[in-house]
Amino acid sequence: MRPRSVNSALLPGERRRWPARAVLGLGVLLLALSFLVASARGSYVISPLQLWAVLMDALGGAAQPSPEHLVFMNIRLPRLLMGMAAGAALGLSGALMQGLFRNPLADPGLIGVSSGAALAAGTTIVLGSLWFPEMPRTLGSWTLVLTAFTGSLVVTLLVYALSQQDGATRVGLMLLAGIAINALAGAGLGFLTFLATDEQLRNIQFWLLGSLGGARWSAVVLVFSIVAVAVAAGLTLAKPLNAIALGEAQAALLGVPVENVKRFAVLVTALAVGAVTATTGIIGFIGLMAPHCVRLVAGPDHRVVLPGSALLGAALVLAADSVARTIVQPAELPLGVLTAFVGVPFFLLLLRHFRSRL
Amino acid sequence: MTTMPSPLNRRDTLRLFSLPALSGVLGLPATAALAQAPARPPRIVSVNGAMTEIVYALGAEKQLVGTDTTSLFPAAALQTAKVGYMRQLSAEGLLSLKPDAVIGTTEAGPGVVMDQVRSAGVKVELVEADHSWGEVQRKVAAVGRATSRVAQANALQAKLDAEWAGVLAAVAASKGGRKPRAIFILSHSSSAQVSGDKTAAHAMMVFAGLQNALAGSFSAYRPMTAESIVTAAPDVIVTTVQGIEASGGLEKFWARPGLEMTPAYRRRAVVALDALYLIGFGPRLPQAVTELHQAAWKVTA
Amino acid sequence: MNARQFTGFADGLLEAIGVGVEVPGKTLLRDASACFMAGQVTAILGPNGAGKSTLLSLLTGQRAPANGMVRLAGQPLAAHTPGDLARVRACVAQETQVAFDFTVQEVVELGRYPHRRHPSPQESGIVLQAMQATAVDHLAQRALNTLSGGEKARVHLARALAQVWEPVWRKAFFPPGRPKEKTDPSGGREPHEVGERGGSISRWLLLDEPTAALDLQHQHRMLQLVRDWAVGQGVGVVAVLHDLNLALRYSDRCVVLRDGQVVASGASDQVLTPACIEEVWGVRAHAAPAGEGTQRRPQYVFEPGEGDSRGFAGD
Repeated sequence: MRPRSVNSALLPGERRRWPARAVLGLGVLLLALSFLVASARGSYVISPLQLWAVLMDALGGAAQPSPEHLVFMNIRLPRLLMGMAAGAALGLSGALMQGLFRNPLADPGLIGVSSGAALAAGTTIVLGSLWFPEMPRTLGSWTLVLTAFTGSLVVTLLVYALSQQDGATRVGLMLLAGIAINALAGAGLGFLTFLATDEQLRNIQFWLLGSLGGARWSAVVLVFSIVAVAVAAGLTLAKPLNAIALGEAQAALLGVPVENVKRFAVLVTALAVGAVTATTGIIGFIGLMAPHCVRLVAGPDHRVVLPGSALLGAALVLAADSVARTIVQPAELPLGVLTAFVGVPFFLLLLRHFRSRL
Repeated sequence: MTTMPSPLNRRDTLRLFSLPALSGVLGLPATAALAQAPARPPRIVSVNGAMTEIVYALGAEKQLVGTDTTSLFPAAALQTAKVGYMRQLSAEGLLSLKPDAVIGTTEAGPGVVMDQVRSAGVKVELVEADHSWGEVQRKVAAVGRATSRVAQANALQAKLDAEWAGVLAAVAASKGGRKPRAIFILSHSSSAQVSGDKTAAHAMMVFAGLQNALAGSFSAYRPMTAESIVTAAPDVIVTTVQGIEASGGLEKFWARPGLEMTPAYRRRAVVALDALYLIGFGPRLPQAVTELHQAAWKVTA
Repeated sequence: MNARQFTGFADGLLEAIGVGVEVPGKTLLRDASACFMAGQVTAILGPNGAGKSTLLSLLTGQRAPANGMVRLAGQPLAAHTPGDLARVRACVAQETQVAFDFTVQEVVELGRYPHRRHPSPQESGIVLQAMQATAVDHLAQRALNTLSGGEKARVHLARALAQVWEPVWRKAFFPPGRPKEKTDPSGGREPHEVGERGGSISRWLLLDEPTAALDLQHQHRMLQLVRDWAVGQGVGVVAVLHDLNLALRYSDRCVVLRDGQVVASGASDQVLTPACIEEVWGVRAHAAPAGEGTQRRPQYVFEPGEGDSRGFAGD
C-alpha cells in the first residue's frame, strides 16, 4: 500500500531502497558465509573434509581428538565466536552512536569507551608491575581484562556526567567531553609509554592494535553473553532513534523519552564495546563502516540499520580476521591494523561525500 | 544423524584419511608424547634468539621449523619460517608448523597462546631469564631436551663452562686495578633509554669488569636524560650497533644531549656490539664478555 | 456510565495563565495570559522579539514558565504524560533539521509514533491522506533533505496532521495513565459526541510561522487547510504568524504581543484595527479595496510609519 511515484524511474533525490527483509537476509547470509570461510582458513591447514570430521567428533564425542579437532575447537572456533561478538557489538554501537549524535560520522569511541579501556590496560601493564612484580607472567589473563573493562565503564561514565546540563544530556556537550577525555587518556597513555620498559611498550602496542588471539572459551562465553544481551536491548531503540532524527525537541513532542533513550544507548554501548575492547584491544572503524554500508542499501530506518549493522559488523570482523591470520602466516597481523587499512580510506570517502553537509 | 554409518568406522576412516596429510604423529595426546620417544627427530620452533643459536651449535638445524623475529644468528636462521615477535605469537601459526616442541624464555607470549599450544599436545619449554650464567646453562639443557640431543648438549655445556671459567679468570687478571664507569644506552627507537640494574646489559657490564654508573638508583630501563648522564659521569658508553644505526651514525649518537659533558665524550669512548651478541645470553656469551672487556679497556686506557 | 461528565468547556481549552519567562538579562514574557479554543484558529502576532515563539514554546511544553501555568483540557501540562500529549497535540517548528536521508513518507510516518502501541487499522491510509492533504504525495520517495524549504514545510505539516489524524476518546485520556485507548474505527468526525466513550478530547495543531518558507499559493492553501480542520473537525489551531492579512483572513481570534506582554486579544477583525496596528507595529494600515475575499475579512495595505524616515534604527 506504499504510494509510489507515477513512473518507476527515479526522480532526483529519490532513493531505491531494498526491502528490510532482503537486507537482513543478506546480512545473515554474509555472516554465515564469513563464518564458513573463516572456519576453513587459517595457518593450520584444515581441509573441508577434516572440518566435517571435527564437527562429527564434536557432536559424537571422540575418545581421541585429532589435532585438527584440537586446533579448531580450542583455538579457531572460540576466536571466530569472539570475532562475531566483537563485530556485532561494534556495528550496533556504531549505529546507536550515529543515531544518538544524529551524525553518520559518529563512532563508539566518541564517548570514551575505547580510550578508557586503553588507559586502564596501559596502566595495568606499566604500573601494575610496580605493585605486582609477577604481573608480566599473568598478563593476558583476567587481570588485564577486568581492569580494561572497568576503565572503559569509568571513562564513559565520566563523559556522560560531563555532558549533563540542567538535568538533561546535551549531545553537543557529550561530543566535546568525549574529545577532551579521549585526549586526556591519550596523554595518559603517552606518559605510560614514556615510563614503560621495552617489554611493556611492546605489550601496550600490541594491546592497542587489537587482536582476537587471546580468545579462550571462558572469555568467549562471557563476552558473547554480554554482547547478546546488549544487542537485544539496543534493538529496542530503533523506533525512538528514528524519531530523534527529527531533532530531540521534535522527538520529545512525539512522546519519545529522549533522556532515557540517550542514557540507554550510552549504557548499551559502554557494556558491549567495553567488554569487547577489554578482551581484544582496540578494533577500529567497524562501528563507522557497518552502519554506513547498511544505510547505503536500506535507508536510514533504524529498524533495519541496527540489526543490519550488527550482522555486517560481525561479518566484517570475521573477514578481516581471516586475512590477519593468513596474510603473514605463520605470524599474525594485529586486527586493528587491517581494519584501519580498510577503514581510513573508507572514512575519507565518507568525508568527501558528506563534505557539503558538514 | 540417525542415518550415519557406524560412528566408529566412519571416524577411523576419516582419521586414516587425515593422517597421511600430517607429516608428524601429532595425533597422540600429550601424555603419550611424553611417555615415548618420537620415532624421528622432533620438530622445534624456537622463539628466542639465543636458543636458536644453540640449536645451530648442536647441529640440529634440520629440526628447526620456525623461529621468531629476534632469531637473527646465524644467517641461516633468517631463512626459517618466522612466527612473529616472541611476545605476540599466534597459536594457530605455531601449530601450523607441526612442531613437537616450542622453546623460548618466559618472556614468550601471550600466555593464552602458550596455553593453547600446550593443550594441543605440543611441549612448551620456557626458560627463566635471570641474566646469569645459569640462564645460558638452562637454555642449552632445554634445547638439548627438546631436540633429543642431550648428549651433544652436555658436551656443549661442558665446553662452554670451561670457556666461561677462562673468560672470568682472564677478565679478573687483566683488570689492572681499574674499574671504569660505564652506562648502557638502548636507542633502537627515537627515544633513548639507559639501563639500571637487573637487566641483561647490566649483567654484561659487570661480567666484563665495568661498573654500571647507574646501578643502585633504579632497575630496568629509564628514559635517558641529560642530567642523569652527566651525574653518572661514565668513562665509556656501551651500546648496540643497531642503536648507532638507529641514531643515524656515530656523530649523531654523540650529539645526544648530555653526552658531551661526560668523561667518555672526550675520547669518544664507546663500545658498540650487535644486540643479540651482546645481550642475548646465548652460547657466544663468553666471547661477548671478552670482547666487551677488551674494547672497554682499550678506549679508556 | 462515567459519573465524571465533563462540562464540555474546559476540555476544549488551551490556556496560558499569567506566564512569565526570563533568561539572564531579559524578560521574554511577563504576566501573559491567553486562551485558545478548540474549533478555532488563533493567531499569535507581534513584532520581532515580542515573545511569540516563547509563548508558543510554553504551549508546546518545551519551556516551563517561571511563573504562571499552562493548562490543557483544564489540567496543567505537567499533569499529562508526554505520550498522552503527543496523541492529541502536534507541533510544527519553524525549522526542523532532519538527520540522514529519510524519505518524505518515512518522515510523515514518524508522526504516527505516538500511536504505535495502539495503531489504527488504517495506518498507511492515514499517512497517504496526510501527504495528499498538503500536496506532497508526489514526493513520497524523495529524500527530505533534497527538497526546497517550502516543500519541507509542507512535509512537516503533513506529519503533524498524521499525528492527530484521528480523534482520541475521552475515557482513554482522563485520568492520565489509564491504559486503554480506543480510536474510532470508522474515522467518524463527531468530536462533541457525548455517549459511551464520553466524547473526544480536542486535538491541537501548534504552528510556528508555518507560512515562512511557502510561496503565495501554498501559504493560502495551508492556512485554508488548517482552518478547515478547525472548523470541520474541532481541532484547535494556534499559529504564530507574521503576515497580518493572512491572520485576518484565516484566523478567528488573535493574541497580539509586544515586548513580552499581551497587548490585545480577541476576534481578529476587531483587534487588528489600524490604530492597533500602528501602535504595535509602527506601520500605517489602509483598508484594501474591496474584492471577493475581503467581504467578510478586512485586508490592509501597509505603508511605513513615521519613525522609519531614519532608516532601520528606532522602534
